[in-house]
Amino acid sequence: MIQEPILRMKNIVKKFPGVVAVDHVDLTLNRGEVLAILGENGAGKTTLMNVLYGLLRPDEGEIYIEDKKVSHHSPIDAIRNGIGMVHQHFTLVEDLTISENIILGLKEFGFFIDMKKITREIEEFAGKLGLKINPNVKVWQLSAGEKQKVEILKALFRNPRILILDEPTSVLTPQDTKELFKAIRKLKQNGLSIIFISHKLEEVLQIADRIVVLRRGKVVGELLRNEAEPRLLAELMVGREVLLEVKATPKAQVGEVILEIQGLEALGDRGNLALRGVSMKIKSGEILGIAGVSGNGQKELAETIYGLRKPTRGKIFFLGRDITKSSVLDRIQLGISYIPAERLKYGVVGDLPLYENAILTRIAENQIINSLPVVPPSLRPMNIKVIEKFATDLISRYSVVTPSHKTLVRNLSGGNIQRVIVGREIDRKPKLLIAEEPTAGLDIAATEFIREKLIELKNNNCSILLISSDLSELLSLSDKIAIMYNGEIVGAFKPGELDIDDIGLMMSGYKKMLRERIDLYWA
Amino acid sequence: MTLVFREREVSLAHILILPLLAVGVAFLAGSLLMIWANVDPLVGYASFLSGSLGGYVQVTDTLLRTTPFLLMAVGIAFSNRSGVLNVGAEGQYLMGAIATTATALYLQSVGINPVVVLIISVIAGATAGALWASVAGFMKAYFEINEIVVTVIMNWLALKIMQWLLRGPLKNPLSQMWPMSPPVGVKLPIILPGTRLHAGFILALVIALLTHYILFKTKTGFMVRVLGSNPNAAKYSGLPVKKLIVFSLAYSGALAGLAGGIEILGVFHFLYEGIAVGLGYTSIIASLLGRNNPVGIIGSSLIFGMIYNGTVYLQSATGLTYTFSKAVEGLIYIFFMLFTILILYEVKLVVKREES
Repeated sequence: MIQEPILRMKNIVKKFPGVVAVDHVDLTLNRGEVLAILGENGAGKTTLMNVLYGLLRPDEGEIYIEDKKVSHHSPIDAIRNGIGMVHQHFTLVEDLTISENIILGLKEFGFFIDMKKITREIEEFAGKLGLKINPNVKVWQLSAGEKQKVEILKALFRNPRILILDEPTSVLTPQDTKELFKAIRKLKQNGLSIIFISHKLEEVLQIADRIVVLRRGKVVGELLRNEAEPRLLAELMVGREVLLEVKATPKAQVGEVILEIQGLEALGDRGNLALRGVSMKIKSGEILGIAGVSGNGQKELAETIYGLRKPTRGKIFFLGRDITKSSVLDRIQLGISYIPAERLKYGVVGDLPLYENAILTRIAENQIINSLPVVPPSLRPMNIKVIEKFATDLISRYSVVTPSHKTLVRNLSGGNIQRVIVGREIDRKPKLLIAEEPTAGLDIAATEFIREKLIELKNNNCSILLISSDLSELLSLSDKIAIMYNGEIVGAFKPGELDIDDIGLMMSGYKKMLRERIDLYWA
Repeated sequence: MTLVFREREVSLAHILILPLLAVGVAFLAGSLLMIWANVDPLVGYASFLSGSLGGYVQVTDTLLRTTPFLLMAVGIAFSNRSGVLNVGAEGQYLMGAIATTATALYLQSVGINPVVVLIISVIAGATAGALWASVAGFMKAYFEINEIVVTVIMNWLALKIMQWLLRGPLKNPLSQMWPMSPPVGVKLPIILPGTRLHAGFILALVIALLTHYILFKTKTGFMVRVLGSNPNAAKYSGLPVKKLIVFSLAYSGALAGLAGGIEILGVFHFLYEGIAVGLGYTSIIASLLGRNNPVGIIGSSLIFGMIYNGTVYLQSATGLTYTFSKAVEGLIYIFFMLFTILILYEVKLVVKREES
């Protein structure tokens, strides 16, 4: 293969207050290759790409595209220089159609737009790439996999020479991922150069021609695909030997039923029926995994059990008690904890310091308030000593990296915010923990740590409802796994009973288990 | 060319400098207004300063004028902290003044000990303000109706109710010209002899400090701040969100109602239409200038007390009316917003070079 560089980034430095996010990085991308940038969260992958895409200005360093020095002040410059980027999070306008989204921001179109012609063009364009879409569909109707396709189409429609894919598989099913990889290979054959950002080893090994490993803003390794080997890559990424899989040992005996759900129905945010008659049981000391592509009712299930969402039908029993109508506070006091997927939106108050966030779900506990006669409890001074002790204990036991317990939570990294939430919820010694995507977006060290904590909790007889889109996480931690599709449980199994293809087919709605067979798992 | 904004690490000095700078520049801009009106700014501001700070009587009068701003702004700050914007302090202030006047008039006609009359009518004012504000609170909490709209509408409603009362049930039969209520006999005690400064000022100070304590030291305040900075997290934590919304508006309204009652019992001693001069709206600026912090608001209300009082002298010395003080208020608001951006953010003008 002829190594002809299309992009060279030289000596790039990007500093943020207190950290050097990208530290003298050199990067070369050859024409027609897939270059994977591998690294933990916070390693500087996205920052580096944002510099390339013009979203951030580098403090030092130079960028050359086809030996021409460029300087990107905004994505407009980057697009003009032939760079397309698909971001980690969707940037589509939900209420517009696919074609409207694709031409959004394109200068070629004036005030009057011939939508029919454009739609035809887009259909042809997609067909050439082997992607089947209907350009007239509104984006909100699409699944995550389809949205991803639209994002890629949108980037490609601007005819780039370089395509950046930032963690493109985080919301995809195994099948969707396969299809994405197929498309990437095809694009590569057409001569496109691709930068593929990921922290998932197996994906990188599947798709990359060359792998650059970043750690703490520095390039720590650059390998060709055939030189790479999982253990070596993981070591480079984390900087030490890591345990790749935490394995839960099933308990010899599981105890009484902690949570029972009967025929639960609930509406989603758009008024659609998001839960369509979900029934299940969790016993003490048991981890029940919920598998499924996100958006199939998992979030609504978690919120309904926790009391944030009112069910329209069905019953929830906790320790034999009907809690269908109980408030969130009641459920917290009964011993239900919830680690929400959207950490910053639900789990913490970013503008408040860590120590106040440490008692967010302990507000009803008497120990946080000083005793004072006559004055009603809600007007007594809070016991700062006790609260600060909660926080400092949390920081030390859950290895939260923070300047102090008074630091505002929004200044912490994602992994440390999650450590605060997980620590807070586990320290309350719950009887049931609902953990929704507890390790999503976290680096290997934090992921491993949180998984260990979940197992520790299970060994202390807590029941855990583990909702995750990471199948290997579910398979290694759960005692039983239920698969959700379109608001229903379409399958249930114990790890090892089903192979990955069957799971994928059920997750994408191609296959369904008989109701009677599923019910056996709740017996 | 593009402007680039970047959040700066903010120190206490930044926070203290910000309101002072805004006020300073607003006064400078005010001098341009004076020149435009053919008034020598030096003469104008000299009379302004002598009116607000020129002597014992002037200083105590400034403190007297500070009192309603302090109470209302602290109340507004409390509800702001819970994420609920109370634009209705004006109406709550009027309802408080009405309730205090009516209660005091009734009780003194029955012939009760004046101290008891005083206490009950002060409480009546605060209660009326709280009830008036909690209407918006209920509508926000249970029907998701925007509180800004409701509170603004209810300001007009309060004004109309007062105008009707002054021509009806609360009309002073002896007054022919101006609609006014009969005189209220009970008065707040004067705390400094030879001045008009009454006990209401001390009460307002105590309440400001108490509110600071509630906001930052108690569970109630903690819940209010959680709700204000992340309503989703408040629901997730099981906080009584609806009750908190109603409570924070009621608290806010109680302080505004109290301000109205205190003005009647300490300054005017009867109800008339002239008490509605937009103090409630000015207080919104005062809470902003004090960064929604009760201690900060003690400082910012003093500034507005000075402006209010200083303009009285300015008017007699130069002929500029109280609309001038309104203009200065507006300027303070604008410059505060401007300097908030300039001080809390690094702003750079990036000139784009064309690539060769």
